[in-house]
Amino acid sequence: MNAIIDHSGQLAHGLFLTLAMTICGFACALALGVLLAVLLISPVVPMRTLASVYVAVFRNIPLLVWLVLFVFGLPEIGLLYSLLTTVTVAMALYWAAFICEVIRSGVRTVPPGQIEAARALGFRFIQILRHLVLPQATRSMVQPLGNIFIALTLNTSLAAAVGVRELTGEAQVFTIRYDIPIPIFAVTTAIYVLMTLTGGLVTGRLERKLAINR
Amino acid sequence: MILVDAKRRMCAALIPACALVAAASACGDGSGQGLPPASGSADAYQQVIDAAPTARGSDIPAGSLMAKIKSRGTLIVGGTETAALFSLKDPISGKTRGFDAGLAAMLAKYIIGKPDVKLMQVSVNTREALLQNGTVDTVFATYTITPERAKKVAFAGPYYSSGDAILVKKGEKSINSASDLNNRTVCTETSSVAANDIKKAAPKAKVVLFDQNTQCVQAVEDGRADAYVLDQGILLGDAYRDHKVTVVGQPFTTEPYGIGLSQSAPEMKTFVNNWLKLIQTNGQWSELWKATIGTAVSGDAPRPLAIGSVAGS
Repeated sequence: MNAIIDHSGQLAHGLFLTLAMTICGFACALALGVLLAVLLISPVVPMRTLASVYVAVFRNIPLLVWLVLFVFGLPEIGLLYSLLTTVTVAMALYWAAFICEVIRSGVRTVPPGQIEAARALGFRFIQILRHLVLPQATRSMVQPLGNIFIALTLNTSLAAAVGVRELTGEAQVFTIRYDIPIPIFAVTTAIYVLMTLTGGLVTGRLERKLAINR
Repeated sequence: MILVDAKRRMCAALIPACALVAAASACGDGSGQGLPPASGSADAYQQVIDAAPTARGSDIPAGSLMAKIKSRGTLIVGGTETAALFSLKDPISGKTRGFDAGLAAMLAKYIIGKPDVKLMQVSVNTREALLQNGTVDTVFATYTITPERAKKVAFAGPYYSSGDAILVKKGEKSINSASDLNNRTVCTETSSVAANDIKKAAPKAKVVLFDQNTQCVQAVEDGRADAYVLDQGILLGDAYRDHKVTVVGQPFTTEPYGIGLSQSAPEMKTFVNNWLKLIQTNGQWSELWKATIGTAVSGDAPRPLAIGSVAGS
């Protein structure tokens, strides 16, 4: 236990990398997911096909396989980026597929009749989106997005397998150096739980904030 | 090429046959004193295991862990399937082969009378815990004896002495010794204590951990890491298979490997140490070395370390 306290700076650095990967990864995945959802909803067939092929490819291959492919495969074709960048990009691409589906199904919860009615009342496209679709769709997307946030947070630990010294990676280093696997993994578990509980708390707050007051 | 393949396949077909013969002969005369070397086609590795001794009944007192293993009929070993030369799974026979795997099979034969091993994959995170709670009987996993580990588990041996060496891409001229690793990116396996040794020998090196040996080699090839540090035996195996990399310099540490045992069964440690002494004096230890590590390292088998000569053993 003393070793953990004495070298907490090292652990903090690992935590920083985990947080960086989580936040950057989620932000990029959200941006790409929205773009993909727009493609998937659009009436243009090639765009829809492109988005659905993307979702099929990224969603049906395990994340660890993607990480190994990105980290060890890309250099084979001359693309060598830092480990952290490579892993964050791979995670963003992977989770974008899931986020895309969440957003699409959220938008689909708005009955088409409402959109037709709005159009009949003279709403323009942006107005329909702002006043009708987004407020209703967001409400149903909050919890699924929260789930993805939690899954993404926990899955950053897979980066340790490909050499990133994030929280789990640092725990492995501690184990090698001081031979304290159980205490160090207990501490990292607590940190992960704290992070995901915070995520859950925020989604709960958001949900209440977005709820309809009748 | 075709010839080699055919020969390999024949070997693979013969191994189960040999095992059957072994079982039959053990049942027949009841002495269990090994079996005559099988026909010339069985390889040197199999011959060592076939010739391995079996303990006398008086060596295994009732109520001891050895008696428990004997009545169970299989030795549960913690190990790995991915360490070339030490314990690597053979895709043809489905069995692990190598120095560690061979010793495990020989110990199983010594206790039970047949080399019946159940391998459970362990990692650096789980080895001590699995020994302490009795999930595995013993650990053969290039397991370096350290005083910290010896507080939690018992070590028989040391049975082999290795040392950390440096693997670099061919043509890399600026890395020749451990001190050259300062300010360079150095990778190693997650399951090894080599990360500590790098920090000691080259405090300014940036250490990156990968899960597997193959990933470390790939990282060096890709230029993601400048060097890969691990036990010399394993690195020589890598350089032997992959001609884009090479091992430089001499080992800069000493890693005594021990056989991990539970502290709750002290009789087992004495028993295993006696068995190690036996196979070291009768030459089978050296024969196994020649059939495994000796295929990648030139020269004769080294002299085995004295049992109990390392702090923690």
